[in-house]
Amino acid sequence: MGSQRSELLPAAGVAQDHRTALARFLAAESGAAKVEFSGLAPLRGGAIQENWAVDARFFGGLLTGDQRLVLRTAAPTGVAASLSRNEEFAVLKAAFAAGVTVPEPLFASEDPAVFGKAFFVMRRVDGTAAAHRITRDPLLDPSLPAIAGRLGRELARIHTIRPPRSGLAFLPSYEQVGPAQQIAGFRAYLDRHPVPRPVLEWGIRWLETHLPPPVEPVLCHHDYRTGNYMLDGANLTGILDWEFAGWGDPHEDIGWFCCKGWRFARLDREAGGIADRAPFYRGYERESGRMVGRERVFFWEVLASVRWAIIALQQSDRYLIGGERNLDLALTGRRATECELEILMLLDPDGAPSDA
Amino acid sequence: MRDLPTGPSLLALAREVLLSDLLPLLPEQHRLEVRLVANSMAIAEREAEAADGLRKAIARELEKLYRWTGEGEEPENLLRCFARDLRVDRFKGSEPQERKAREILWQLTISKLRQANPRCLAANGFR
Repeated sequence: MGSQRSELLPAAGVAQDHRTALARFLAAESGAAKVEFSGLAPLRGGAIQENWAVDARFFGGLLTGDQRLVLRTAAPTGVAASLSRNEEFAVLKAAFAAGVTVPEPLFASEDPAVFGKAFFVMRRVDGTAAAHRITRDPLLDPSLPAIAGRLGRELARIHTIRPPRSGLAFLPSYEQVGPAQQIAGFRAYLDRHPVPRPVLEWGIRWLETHLPPPVEPVLCHHDYRTGNYMLDGANLTGILDWEFAGWGDPHEDIGWFCCKGWRFARLDREAGGIADRAPFYRGYERESGRMVGRERVFFWEVLASVRWAIIALQQSDRYLIGGERNLDLALTGRRATECELEILMLLDPDGAPSDA
Repeated sequence: MRDLPTGPSLLALAREVLLSDLLPLLPEQHRLEVRLVANSMAIAEREAEAADGLRKAIARELEKLYRWTGEGEEPENLLRCFARDLRVDRFKGSEPQERKAREILWQLTISKLRQANPRCLAANGFR
């Protein structure tokens, strides 16, 4: 689900009229006399959204000179929970204004005449978001605890954004998207799913009977994890992929970051596969002035495994139901069982029977 | 009766040819896709080898569980019934049933991962 991958795919067709319309749009928005492209190609990654690398020269205006940008638009099929591009743009602007390290959001358009569908444009940041590389690179190892601390501080900064916010009025209230509502959503999905998932039902029942007391909601990223931030060497250059953002319990993002599904090559490093929890929590606590509630994180970590399992199934639905010919998406459904293993490991004190 | 080599062994051979002979010839941007193809073939091979064993084994365990409750559900409905009952904590009142239900959840999950992703099992300390 990352967005600013540096690897370009082979040149894919952008209709000439879209190139022309996009150049005119960028010129008008930035106050340039004209804009010329030296590159316009899709970026690898982005299972839910499409991202295009845009290399452009602006003649005058706010962005005069050569600019490296990303244009973000929707893939042919998506998942229901994601924001529209215009909404994601508004969230990104709020995060940028709050001092979160994100690619600077620049312009947005909902006019299909420009690029065929709604999109927004942001600056392109350097580095890699490749989670397997980040969690495996021995050269990065000594820097990872500090990076985990920085990610804790960045998360605390995201959580300074609180409702009500006029620019984010489209986000559903916490009462509409809290844990009880998420549980109802999981069950509604499973009721439509053709294959019974007893482990998910068991885990969801545990969640239902262990709901934490309500909290003052904050802006949650809702996909804050390794794979969705860019590192240029050991330098954090951007938090990416805001399409699931919404009001929530701050521990929701902490549980998601730490859940096993996002540790990639290093299951033993509980903070995103990069470090122990301690530096991540410490960074968060110092920046926010609030203690991380360990029991609340445990609840949200169980919910994270359920949620990831449901997302994995929805991803393969994009092939099974949506007809999107994409082997990666088709295979992602199999990952639901990995989440189910984690649910069992978290919730069953007896462990696996010896003959399993 | 099918001819030899079997479907699973053909898949295994095809996968080896793909990874050893063809992959090195491909440009970098196609290699990830080829690895996904190879992974899909490996899953298909393991599932073909296991045939109906998993479904039958789980059905047997569920039949035992439901005999205890005296329900006598049809085998093909048992897994759906099991999921539905877990949603409402049906087995909570009986310690043996509750334990048996958890055993089945483990068995189902580990068996599925043996086919879909044995490396995940190993990484989590399961043989």
